[in-house]
Amino acid sequence: MLELKDVDTAYGSVPMLRGLTLSVRPGELVCLLGPNGAGKTTTFMAVCGVVRALRGAVEVMGKDIGRLGTENLAALGVGLVPEGRRLFPGLTVIENLRLGYDAVSGRGPNFETQLDKMSNLFPRIRERLRQVAGTLSGGEQAMVALARALIGEPKFVVMDEPSLGLSPKLISEYFEITQEIHRRGTTILLIEQNAEMGLGIADRGYVLVKGKVAQEGDAKELLSSKAAKSLYL
Amino acid sequence: MAELLVQQLVNWITLGCIYALLAIGFSLIFGVLNVIHFSHGDVAMTAPFISLALVQLLATAVGVSGPAWLIVAALAAALAVGVIGIVLDKTVIRRFRDAPAMMALVATVALGIVIRELIRHLYPQGSNPHAFPRLVSGVAFEVGTVPISWFALLVVLLTIALVALLFFFLKMTPLGLRIRAASEDRVIARMMGIRDTRVFRATFFIASAIGAIAGLLFASYAGVTRFDFGVMAGLLGFSAAVIGGLGSMPGAILGGLIIAGIEVLAQTFVPDGASYRLVFVFLLVIVVLIFRPAGLLGRPVMEKV
Repeated sequence: MLELKDVDTAYGSVPMLRGLTLSVRPGELVCLLGPNGAGKTTTFMAVCGVVRALRGAVEVMGKDIGRLGTENLAALGVGLVPEGRRLFPGLTVIENLRLGYDAVSGRGPNFETQLDKMSNLFPRIRERLRQVAGTLSGGEQAMVALARALIGEPKFVVMDEPSLGLSPKLISEYFEITQEIHRRGTTILLIEQNAEMGLGIADRGYVLVKGKVAQEGDAKELLSSKAAKSLYL
Repeated sequence: MAELLVQQLVNWITLGCIYALLAIGFSLIFGVLNVIHFSHGDVAMTAPFISLALVQLLATAVGVSGPAWLIVAALAAALAVGVIGIVLDKTVIRRFRDAPAMMALVATVALGIVIRELIRHLYPQGSNPHAFPRLVSGVAFEVGTVPISWFALLVVLLTIALVALLFFFLKMTPLGLRIRAASEDRVIARMMGIRDTRVFRATFFIASAIGAIAGLLFASYAGVTRFDFGVMAGLLGFSAAVIGGLGSMPGAILGGLIIAGIEVLAQTFVPDGASYRLVFVFLLVIVVLIFRPAGLLGRPVMEKV
């Protein structure tokens, strides 16, 4: 589903990712952890093709993202949840969801059915469909951002720090939904700062420090590893 | 006095509609590309020249002439200017969408000069003013003793129809939804599979074609067109967009009506006001920029980092 091979990126002259190598196989839930400034969001942007790799290769669904372009990613069945939700604030919830659906399904005919499914999965947004997204609470926006990524039934979802700014109750709810989506067969790359919650539901994990993988392995082992804790926690 | 007021009210609404149509183009392009297209007025004012050239061509090549053919030529000119807008976006403006604002400003101002000079040199006797007929003539009805022309009625109805069509397009069609999404967040729009090029193409076609209609009405209202009318049309349209709030469609309409209102008030109530009307208009622009930099209906301006 995803392969990053020896990837370097930089913002101007400041290096961000330094030889980053990681992979996500079909059916997996992989958690990418790291402290602030480790390069987590840069990794997300590199996966999306928004940040170009100066060296190495980023392959999503077997395609080189540099050649593919960000706008073609969704059509391959990739759903994206960017950091800070990044909903279209002036558009209604249903319009945000429509864009998410059209992106993955290619404007397929089953929007209403999918909308029903999302309303069942996220009961909080059911009554908010006609509301302008910018007026929703942080928690509701987080749910809409996830629903927007899922409504087209993508095969692979990449989530960038979805728990940031959510209350503990909402974080639990959010991770339960993420786990449920994974159980239904969706492959997920979860980029997180919340190590316990992230690794708690993941199959495998990577710990990113200063743009490189400092440790990787089975999620449960990482969670109990002293080395990982010293690197990250 | 009542007759004068009714007459000036008609002038205000007519002129306000023309400025609103010009301002809509500025706002639409700024909303989507975050670029102020300073040559938009010049692009709009190519329409009367294209229209005159088509009328001439129809008369000499096909042997047809008359008011109906002027309308046909005007419609064809609006479509042609829409295509010109796409070409200018692709060749020039799009290259500056992520550049510092100053670069886009210089590039679009330079583009305006290029357009004006091309008209001046390529159009027969391009340096001279060219008479531009009323698109429709005659009196539609009278209010008291004040005649309301078909032209004034056409301007108002056309503006209402275009604004309604634009509103419908932006709110109700998939492409309209994508344009609105791209105008809010271009990076996320791309993540949602929205292709910049299609959005920009559609935006420039619509903005330029609506601008062309405003240009045709502007020339028709003045009864004349000149190669450098684009400067004034651009300044007035841009000012209207700024007063209303760049990027806001209702703001563009409000701004157009306010600017026209000030012009008409100055002409009516200030001695020798016709000479000073632009002083009042641009003073208002300065006042709005000082006290409400985002315009009357605009969202607060945020610097891109």
